[in-house]
Amino acid sequence: MSGRAELVRGVGLVKRFGGIVANDAVDFVVAEGDLLGLIGPNGSGKTTLINMLTGHLEPDGGDVLVRGQRMSGRPPNVYAAMGVARTFQQTQLFGRMTVLENMLVPGLARPHSTWDEVARRARRYLDFLSLSDVEQLPAKNLSGGQQKLLELGRCLMLEPAVLFLDEPFAGVHPRLRDKLLDRIRELHQGGRTFVVVDHDMESILRISRRLVVMARGSKIADGEPDAVRADQAVLAAYAGL
Amino acid sequence: MRGLPIAIVLAAAALALANAGRLNPYWTHVAIIAMYYGILAASWSLLAGYVGLFSLSHMAFASIGGYTSALLIQWFRLPIPLGIVAGVVMCCALGGAIGWVCLRMSGPYLAIFTLGFSEIVRITISTEDEVTAGMAGLHTHSLLASATRLPYLYVAFALLALSLLLMGLLVRSRWGLFFRAIREDEQAAAASGVAVARCRIVAFAVASGFAGLAGGFYAHYIGIMTPSVGDLDEMAKLLVMTVIGGMERLPTAVGGAFVVEFLLEWLREYGQWRLPVFGIVLLLTMRFARNGLVTPFWLQFLRLGEARVSPLSAAPTVPDKESGT
Repeated sequence: MSGRAELVRGVGLVKRFGGIVANDAVDFVVAEGDLLGLIGPNGSGKTTLINMLTGHLEPDGGDVLVRGQRMSGRPPNVYAAMGVARTFQQTQLFGRMTVLENMLVPGLARPHSTWDEVARRARRYLDFLSLSDVEQLPAKNLSGGQQKLLELGRCLMLEPAVLFLDEPFAGVHPRLRDKLLDRIRELHQGGRTFVVVDHDMESILRISRRLVVMARGSKIADGEPDAVRADQAVLAAYAGL
Repeated sequence: MRGLPIAIVLAAAALALANAGRLNPYWTHVAIIAMYYGILAASWSLLAGYVGLFSLSHMAFASIGGYTSALLIQWFRLPIPLGIVAGVVMCCALGGAIGWVCLRMSGPYLAIFTLGFSEIVRITISTEDEVTAGMAGLHTHSLLASATRLPYLYVAFALLALSLLLMGLLVRSRWGLFFRAIREDEQAAAASGVAVARCRIVAFAVASGFAGLAGGFYAHYIGIMTPSVGDLDEMAKLLVMTVIGGMERLPTAVGGAFVVEFLLEWLREYGQWRLPVFGIVLLLTMRFARNGLVTPFWLQFLRLGEARVSPLSAAPTVPDKESGT
């Protein structure tokens, strides 16, 4: 990570839901150019962590910094404006709006944007994601995999510095999953930074350059995928060995 | 020929206005009241249909607009149009404040909160009779020095047309897109960079402002303001009009207001029995035609003059029509 600019940092993040500690003083750093896999068993606190890092949950303790700025109390749209984009575990599209309109929303939310320029960009990304043919269909009519692609496209319309993808491969047909993986890889090579959360270990390992493992609300490993995979604590917590 | 439906609407409106003098005073009055409800239905559809904010305080804002205008004119001898504008400004400010207070509310919570606000307004107006004349009603100055209702019909029409034009521009702008995105998924809208809080406050302020405009006109047309303008029966009537018409489009909401108002008058001989009929129609609409009963006709009408093209090439809500990248 040395020499690369820090995009998002979580410092000692704590989140409790009643008596359950979902995140217990978690430190987390995403630097420019990362392609980071965030894994962990169900209930380990991955989504809670992403929710805090993208402004959708206010931490009970600790701080989130985006490009060095403290973000406490700021709404998610401010995070988005600062280049932090995200998808959701359960795909959250604007169901009754068309695919193109779904893309226009984030584009037009950017300051100084114009309809012409945003529509041009939207169509370029739809083409990149193989969704051009369905641009006038309501988003709810797309298949599960296409919806995941559209959600990624909607993120891209923000021209983000970092994208948090929450379970992007869940329930996606293997062929579409491969397409999604290819697109993520291409975008990463183009300079985008990714944090990918998924249970699909195989997919994560195919693309990740760095792996963070969570268990019971804490970060238990952070490093090169090969090293993390050999870590006994990870094997014990994640694979139940 | 995409402009054909608009041309037909304008021609029909011109024809109707040119022949409005043939209406007897009773039906002229009904048409004026239908236009008053038309402004209210369109502005409520902006809030409930476009943004998904199911507010039950809309008629309270009509009441506030009417009373504000009437009282300011009485106290400061303002010109009537200025009084109406003051009512609009008051409603925008109060509506924005309600929008701010309700930022984290939606669905039943928002409905209950706005219902409570509405009742507070009504009871305050009823109780403060030294200021508002309470249930006896506050006499207001007439907007026009005319012995007939026809000039009021033209004013009501102009206000309805202006309201639809302004709200139409708003919903076709990026704000309209953001409103619909918030209605579909507030969290996803925020993640897409939409300033959800600002949009909700603006929607509340604008919709309340138009309610205030309708209320101001009503006050200076009818000649008396009573607390009943903002009561729950009126809100229920507005809801029936908008839902039966179709709450996700401004013209269909106005269509609903016209259909219900004219039918209510036409069926007057059936007394109170006509009201349950509308209740049943509302229930059936919610069950079988959630987009409203006027919407299918409106969509069919909009297709007039459209070339036979693939459905994929039609993009009614996207201004940019370029085909490629």
